[in-house]
Amino acid sequence: MKKLIHALLLGLVLSLLMAGISWADTIKIGVQAPLTGKYASEGQDMKNIVDILAEKVNAAGGVNGKKVEIIAEDDAFDPKTAALAAQRLTTSGVVAVIGTYGSAITEAAQGIYDEAEVIQIATGSTMVRLTEKGMKNFFRTCPRDDAQGAAAAKIIKEFGSKRIAILHDNSSYSKGLAEETKALLDPSTIVFYDALTPGEQDYTAILTKVKGSNPDLLYFPGYYNEAGLLLRQKMEMKWDVPMLGGDATNNADLVKIAGVEAAKGFMFVGPPGVNDLDDPATKEFLATYQARFNAMPASIWSVFAGDAFNVTIEAIKQSGSTEPAKIAEYFHNGLKDFPSLTGTISFDAKGDRAGKFYRLSKVNEKGEFILQ
Amino acid sequence: MEEFFQQLTNGLAVGGIYALIALGYTMVYGVLKLINFAHGDLFTIGAFLGLTLLTSLGLTDHMGALVGVLVLAAMVIALVGLIGFLLERTAYRPLRNSPRLSAVVSALGASIFFQNAVMLIWGARPLVYPHNILPKTAISIFGMDVPLVRLIMLGTSLLLMYGLYYLTHKTKIGAAIRAAAIDQGAAKLMGIDVNRVIALVFCIGPALGGAAGVMVGLYYGQISFTMGWLYGLKAFTAAILGGIGNIPGAMVGGLLLGVIEALGAAYISIAWKDAISFLVLILILIIRPTGLLGERVADKV
Repeated sequence: MKKLIHALLLGLVLSLLMAGISWADTIKIGVQAPLTGKYASEGQDMKNIVDILAEKVNAAGGVNGKKVEIIAEDDAFDPKTAALAAQRLTTSGVVAVIGTYGSAITEAAQGIYDEAEVIQIATGSTMVRLTEKGMKNFFRTCPRDDAQGAAAAKIIKEFGSKRIAILHDNSSYSKGLAEETKALLDPSTIVFYDALTPGEQDYTAILTKVKGSNPDLLYFPGYYNEAGLLLRQKMEMKWDVPMLGGDATNNADLVKIAGVEAAKGFMFVGPPGVNDLDDPATKEFLATYQARFNAMPASIWSVFAGDAFNVTIEAIKQSGSTEPAKIAEYFHNGLKDFPSLTGTISFDAKGDRAGKFYRLSKVNEKGEFILQ
Repeated sequence: MEEFFQQLTNGLAVGGIYALIALGYTMVYGVLKLINFAHGDLFTIGAFLGLTLLTSLGLTDHMGALVGVLVLAAMVIALVGLIGFLLERTAYRPLRNSPRLSAVVSALGASIFFQNAVMLIWGARPLVYPHNILPKTAISIFGMDVPLVRLIMLGTSLLLMYGLYYLTHKTKIGAAIRAAAIDQGAAKLMGIDVNRVIALVFCIGPALGGAAGVMVGLYYGQISFTMGWLYGLKAFTAAILGGIGNIPGAMVGGLLLGVIEALGAAYISIAWKDAISFLVLILILIIRPTGLLGERVADKV
């Protein structure tokens, strides 16, 4: 028995040593994503995209003569788990971390990365506050809520709505966006403002109440699951008020949940969808993805993870270094209009992605998202 | 006034589902004094199994919507009942004579296991039931449009609840279940096979949860692997509200919880809807710790 334990221990030590040796030659890049939990589908898409890109880089000989190694940690779309994931990633020697989805989740991890001087490039965290803190190692490839709020308010005004109902889901993302938009609208036009509980399936009680306020537009800056259910139950109530969503409704599953008939005419303000990406290189990449996983990435948010990976590799290449400080310096001052999956990327002084993004899309009779 | 009645029917329809899930909690608790935290996930499994069977066998294409749905429900009830049986064998029976906390921890573990198993088997994305199975007609009652499906759902819930009540109170096996609930040792001495009774309870409880899962899938369309948690929590609340261990209590608790939620959302605040439900629960537990109808298992000898 004792011999067996000794043998096992020896084996363990050896394998650790071996692992250490094989790690020494790679550039480690972390991915923090919700691989389980409510938004596991987003997280898994993120990881799949980064994996494909990393394989491509490695097949071409790596960066600066070194292979790239992806270390993925699951944050389960939960702030507590995110803090643990961030701690594990910072101690595993990554130079940069890609992710994550969800503003509150990013916020829980942000401080840990900053303290450890590891670069974080968020991919689906649009809350304004995240880049207002002045952290020099924090960047994001997704746009910000205030830009979106402004775009939404502009569209609502153009729409000519006189009675607007605003419904959010109390998440930092949704509430933040609802408030950004509300602040830019004429207060007398807002006839309803309240929050629903995400994760439920029956929203008829809420819809009945909103209907009572008799709006001519329902603005729901929430996620696609709830938006799909709202659309479907709205139709079953025979209530045909137009509905406008935010960028988190930009997900093909929305139409599946609502059904084409109920989704028809639904509008959302958001960055272009996966189907709107028409750059040839991006199309080729998406075809690879489709071939391997038998489906397209469900949303643009996971594609932003690919952008984050691409700029990280570019920064390592151009600065010739894997030191986070040099990479951050390159992001702030060197990176200009770098062509990536969702368009060209530059970062502004705060670490936000520069440029305008938001456009109005509408669901057509076939259930496709059409840019307006 | 019209909005009030509309909200009342909204609440009753949701409450019917809460009640149906609450029955499973109550039955297991009544006999074993164990809160089966995995119950919500058995409900999720029911919803996913239902979708797979429905689409792979093409049930409703072959035999029409009504018969197809009934056959589907029967299949899911059988399969989820079997899973419940296996769950009891592997996760609860070995701990039957351990402190009760061990069984609760085991139940939580089973819940996490089921949730992740569903995610690995069916994927993390929400799945969608076909939209056109149930009729879309609405019936006009007092000037309100009440979708027919909601009435069917409420009716099915009440029917299943009545069936369970009949089983436990009017049949011989029901008498054995009640006897085991009062005192397992004494029941054994009277010649009741307590293990078999418990196994049966663990088939029926989860089976009802599975049936609720199919109903939710058919009606709301969208199912996701995390849906069991919230429904489980609500059903658990409903069971406590009505008096855990008490079958009519689960019915009353479920319907009441649905109505409180709907009216709370309508007249106080949507965002505070759940807080209001739980406030009512706390108030009732302070005033009447055994729940509305009380736990009527042991006190009627």
